[in-house]
Amino acid sequence: MSIYKHEYRAYAGRLTSPWARLGVIVRYALAEAWSSRVTAVLLTLSMLPVIVYLVGIYLANNPMIRMLIMRGKSMIEIDPAYFLKVLQTQCWLALVMTAWIAPRLVSFEIADNALPILLSHPISRFSYVLGKFTALFACLSLVTWVPCLLLFAYQGYASPRPWIFANLHIAGGLLAGSVLWIALLSLLGLALSSWLKWRVVATGAIFAVMFIPAGVGGIITGVLRTKWGFLLNMPVMMSQLWQQLLDVPQTMRADRQLPGASILTVLLLMCGICVLMLNARIRAREVVRG
Amino acid sequence: MNPINDRIIFENVSKFYGEGLGVNHVSLSIPPGVTTLVGPNGSGKTTLMNLMTGLVQPSSGRISVLGMTPGDPDRFFRQVGYCTQFDSFPRRLTGWEFLLDALMLHGMSESDAFRLANEALERVRFGDAGSRRIDSYSKGMRQKIRLAQAIAHHPRVLVLDEPLNGLDPMARAESLALFQELSRQGMHLVISSHILDEVDRISDRVILITGGYIVAEGNIHQVRREVRDKPMQVLIRCDQPERLASRVFATNHCVEARLHDDGGGVFLRTGDLDEFYRILNEIAAEGLVKIEAVTPADDDTQAIYQYLIGSEGGAS
Repeated sequence: MSIYKHEYRAYAGRLTSPWARLGVIVRYALAEAWSSRVTAVLLTLSMLPVIVYLVGIYLANNPMIRMLIMRGKSMIEIDPAYFLKVLQTQCWLALVMTAWIAPRLVSFEIADNALPILLSHPISRFSYVLGKFTALFACLSLVTWVPCLLLFAYQGYASPRPWIFANLHIAGGLLAGSVLWIALLSLLGLALSSWLKWRVVATGAIFAVMFIPAGVGGIITGVLRTKWGFLLNMPVMMSQLWQQLLDVPQTMRADRQLPGASILTVLLLMCGICVLMLNARIRAREVVRG
Repeated sequence: MNPINDRIIFENVSKFYGEGLGVNHVSLSIPPGVTTLVGPNGSGKTTLMNLMTGLVQPSSGRISVLGMTPGDPDRFFRQVGYCTQFDSFPRRLTGWEFLLDALMLHGMSESDAFRLANEALERVRFGDAGSRRIDSYSKGMRQKIRLAQAIAHHPRVLVLDEPLNGLDPMARAESLALFQELSRQGMHLVISSHILDEVDRISDRVILITGGYIVAEGNIHQVRREVRDKPMQVLIRCDQPERLASRVFATNHCVEARLHDDGGGVFLRTGDLDEFYRILNEIAAEGLVKIEAVTPADDDTQAIYQYLIGSEGGAS
């Protein structure tokens, strides 16, 4: 049998930077996320509310249309409350995107035992998770802060009065609220997916973690008559946080309002638990003994 | 070269998974060449391989591979190639993409990765299937692409977990020839395999492991000689095997004699091989029988495995 004639020589070429290597993981993850048509459909559906809000901004700022359709009345007020609705809509759509994409990024590789091959390269577990996180964060950005800020910019452009600089805190709130939320979603999605080999179960678990504690929190709040039960209620907690970030008057009674610091502490705690879950699960070990 | 920088060294290494034992008190010094890990399922072979590839950290002890530790991943993984036993590929990739991405994870530029991927595919004789998705590959092709991935970046240490599983006889022979070629070039090849007769053909040394403990290590013939409680079996081809058997039995250095099925030889067991050979020389010199060939009959990995691990093992 002929063998490829080859004298051993170590690779002596230049090595790329660690960031370039991380880029391979990100590329893998993005390719996996977008290999499904469902991802594209979800992204498209997530853009529909953006179009509706865009039309709203257009209607509110176009004097001719205001005159014809609204008879001069301002039915749509473009204010922080309007952008709060945009933010809330897009952020909850991001949850749907997470539930679909996150399990695809991690569950397959863990179920297929692909980690040993990937991690027997100069890529640490941290880099691996960071790559997946970056890919998911990028996907979620497309439906959260990117369209939110584009709408903000359009409002600035369409408004007959100088608007952007007077309302920069809205942009800051949109960015901070989105980034906090999608960072949490990315970590949560990856952590749950790393523990559940079946993608469908992981998808369900992401929704369950978001809403089952909310029910428990509601019971605690109702029975004990305390606002602290809301710390388990992610929708309420995030709504309050977004309202604070956008400087929108709180919709809940004053005795039901949570301090911003306690909300952030719970979010940080959740992130910490997710990191611990990932640390325990993302390992190169294929079998315990064999 | 500093001998430490040319060896894979385990210094009293133990690995526990919680309360479960992976390997215990392992001390090894593996020189270049083909080293085979042999042991039953669950004996700790994969743990040992994961330890030497830096994929798991020892609970105690120290490991160095050519003087490096996994703490310096850039240098370490440049010298180590690992081929796992599992069908473990990121999904939807073609064989070509898999190799290219693996090389880029090693830090190669795209052009170098392109060249090295081509070279690796050629070395494992992969043909033109590189453009097909891995999902569509046969088991043998998956083994080959894993092997190509392990050697593509020109490592000096190649760790191969069950690399012959699923290969047809032709592909198996090609792989063994490739391993021998790589070994001749001065590489370290650490192979775990259950196909013991093929292991024998290429191994420079064998490590027998069971229950997380190393039970024997070294050159196969050396190890066999050290198994003193099992008399060695020698096949002697001669014209009068019965006569030879009775003559040898007359000495106290033969404990068992069995005629070969074809009647053209006799299997003899002896506890003192040196003395046995001396007596055999005398018999040959006397001209009592015409001896055609003398070959050890249980001086192979299969026999050593049977003697040292035997009933515990699940391996063939």
